[in-house]
Amino acid sequence: MSTERPPHRELTIHQIAGCDTTPKLFLKKVAERGERTALREKELGLWQSYSWNTFHERAMWIAHGLRSVGLVPGDVVAILSEDCKEWVWADMGTMLTGGVVCGIYPTSQPPQVSFCLQDSRARVLFVENEEQLDKYLEVRHELTEILRVYYIDGKGLRGYKDPKIQSVEALYEDGRKAWAEQQGVIESMVQSILPEDPAVIVYTSGTTGKPKGAVIPHRALMFQMTATPTPFRLEGKDELLTYLPLCHLAERLFSLSLPLATGATINLAESPASVPMNLMELSPTVVFGVPRIWEKSYSRVVTLMSEASWAGKRVYAAALAVGKRRADALVDGRKPSRLDEVLFSLADRFVFHNIKQMLGLDKARFLVSGAAPISDSLLRWYLSLGLPIAELYGQTETGIATITRPGEFKPGTVGLALSGVDLHIAQNGEILVRSDGQFSGYLNQPERTAETVVGGWVHTGDVGKLDPDGSLRITDRIKDIIITAGGKNITPSLIENELKYSAYISDSVVIGDRRSFLTALVMLDKENAEHYAQVHGIPFTDYRSLCARPEILALVEAEVGHVNQKFSSVEQVKRFRLIDVLLTAEDEELTPTMKLKRNIVSQKYGMLIDEMYASGASPRPAKPAEE
Amino acid sequence: MSDVVLEINNLETYYGPIMAIRGVSLKVNQGEIVAVLGANGAGKTTLLKTISGALNSSKGEILLAGRPVQNRDPDWVAAQGVAHVPEGREVFPFLTVYENLMLGAYRRRDAKGIAGDLQMVYEYFPALKERTSQMACYLSGGQQQMLAIGRACMSRPRLMLLDEPSLGLSPVLVKSIFQVIRRLNQEQGITVLLVEQNAVVALQTSQRAYVMEVGGVVMDGASAELAQSEDIREFYLGQKSAGVRGTRRWKKRKTWR
Repeated sequence: MSTERPPHRELTIHQIAGCDTTPKLFLKKVAERGERTALREKELGLWQSYSWNTFHERAMWIAHGLRSVGLVPGDVVAILSEDCKEWVWADMGTMLTGGVVCGIYPTSQPPQVSFCLQDSRARVLFVENEEQLDKYLEVRHELTEILRVYYIDGKGLRGYKDPKIQSVEALYEDGRKAWAEQQGVIESMVQSILPEDPAVIVYTSGTTGKPKGAVIPHRALMFQMTATPTPFRLEGKDELLTYLPLCHLAERLFSLSLPLATGATINLAESPASVPMNLMELSPTVVFGVPRIWEKSYSRVVTLMSEASWAGKRVYAAALAVGKRRADALVDGRKPSRLDEVLFSLADRFVFHNIKQMLGLDKARFLVSGAAPISDSLLRWYLSLGLPIAELYGQTETGIATITRPGEFKPGTVGLALSGVDLHIAQNGEILVRSDGQFSGYLNQPERTAETVVGGWVHTGDVGKLDPDGSLRITDRIKDIIITAGGKNITPSLIENELKYSAYISDSVVIGDRRSFLTALVMLDKENAEHYAQVHGIPFTDYRSLCARPEILALVEAEVGHVNQKFSSVEQVKRFRLIDVLLTAEDEELTPTMKLKRNIVSQKYGMLIDEMYASGASPRPAKPAEE
Repeated sequence: MSDVVLEINNLETYYGPIMAIRGVSLKVNQGEIVAVLGANGAGKTTLLKTISGALNSSKGEILLAGRPVQNRDPDWVAAQGVAHVPEGREVFPFLTVYENLMLGAYRRRDAKGIAGDLQMVYEYFPALKERTSQMACYLSGGQQQMLAIGRACMSRPRLMLLDEPSLGLSPVLVKSIFQVIRRLNQEQGITVLLVEQNAVVALQTSQRAYVMEVGGVVMDGASAELAQSEDIREFYLGQKSAGVRGTRRWKKRKTWR
């Protein structure tokens, strides 16, 4: 289905408060905000606040310091670190010198680090600590362009001498001196930075071939700061929790760009594992989550409820039933009945409020999911609790392109295009995006850029549809669509999402291209599966033995069967295997946001797949769970 | 199966509000030495104490030759053939070596068998034989450890629980104690569940091993294989692959594969 193609137009340069680049806006806003809190980070278990003035001071030190070692506008500064305040300072410091920031995932291995640094021709590298520094040292012979490496945490490095390697404090010191001598240099330099100048390089995990460095200009960042429509618009009193890697574009937009425009405060999570705890401590007002975070919170509640007393379970079930009725009405576009509204306010007061408090969502006014598809059932569950989750759609190449509007509950769609974004569905169903926030191209790969941006339109590689009201529905990645041996087109992500909704399944990959039936590789949710085993007295030792337990296989089979009921026969998963290795973010099978990578998983576990399709045995239809 | 001496399923043990063992399952076969490795506070000692009945479990089962023994009194468990050699030896200081050993045979009535076993213990630990009438408090640490193991042998146990036999002993003594443990296992057929922090010697002595962290098993397998595992080598055997700068302070993330 194709729609009329909107006519050609030039991209608009957006301005905020008369500023058209991030560093200009920063200098302007800092002057207004002064001692207000910009950022919080935990230090020795206590939250410490840092003001906009401190932010400004550190960023200026870094900017002057980088200039004094010879960084010139257009040079690339790479940051290899978990999220921390120095990441934020270094990011802005770089931009103030007209430099380009390239964040590298801290889980990257030395060869990947080397590739990113060489490809981007980075001149300066910030590393978090000894561990990250060692990655650089391992490949430093390949990196001739690097002028300096600064480490943030010096533990274990005392006495280590290397002319190229210094602590970030030493950089502050250099910067402080240079600033005193050259007042106003940075400020005047910032004026010469143009909106189309590159601001950031984001490496997208190439599932095939090398990673691609997407160049994001200031224009795109400025546009994205206008991206959240009213009444989602952020304010100075908003609080965010930052937990995804800042090198991910989505986290940059939410944690660095939007707060810059609005004055919201960001709070850096201690570690990925402590996100639930930090949420509870902070009760942020704005929560941007990848589906995994929403799934985790949901399964925590499910697990807790399975342990609750009989009475507790009944009350929860009753409250949820009311919430569901109300949610269904909202989704159908009906007004919930008066009685239901009354019952819901009771349920909210006595049940949901406690749940929200436990999840740290009791103050959240803007919840949003993105970066991957999320299951319908999950969105409805949150809506039942009175927590509408907005969904947004975008890619590194397009930026945030669409977002669902408040008051409209249409699970399955990712909302309307932002103003400044044009959508178009091509003949083959591919979604094309033209956005004021789109990237400028891939670094050093003009052929790939030409393939992706055609006539000003970004080819997303996603297939989708536009509803009559303009809401976008994503079907799947073009290359992921399965065509079975019977010729039927199947979108695996739909099935995978429903599987993920199970508390015991953390992720899965559905397989079946040119095969006669569908199968799946399933990754267990370790915590919940272990908990299940413990409660039901199923002995196991390590993760592998847990995956081999027939009771756990039966549990997953029941969950698969349950999901199968929602699909037609050809779309049902007939067989599955568990991935019995506990994968971590360092493993190539997972993306940094802990999603399974289809290609790599299908390759690595080819044996399991062949087993499922071994000739002879006829597929045993997974039976629906008995309830 | 008849040759499984000890089977533990989903065991949970609390110290007051603190869950010290969070769902441990393991198996010990007849004639095996099975090691449990782990850092301080991993729950190893708690595990042994729960098996011998000194602590009660709140969940799970402990099967001794197929028979549940969890939450029974320690003396009853001991009568079922479980001998516990506690951490820090715990010999009776003001009793003689002979008296200490005979306490190990307290429940036995076969005078002939007892006499035979006493001779056997003296053979394995000649140092004890020279000091039969000395009070245990005058023994060296190593001798006290021998005495504690000897005392356990005197009950002809079906299963010996050994808690940190290397504790506070010199490397030479550790070597000789473990030699005896191996011999007792091979020659007398004593089945041993061994808790140790000294991973090198524990993996050399045992046939199979479990690794515990914060109250749960994270890895298990044949000892020889575990000794090759990267995580075990780095975290338990202290063999770091040399970093680029020679030394490295950071630790890689544990994956337990």
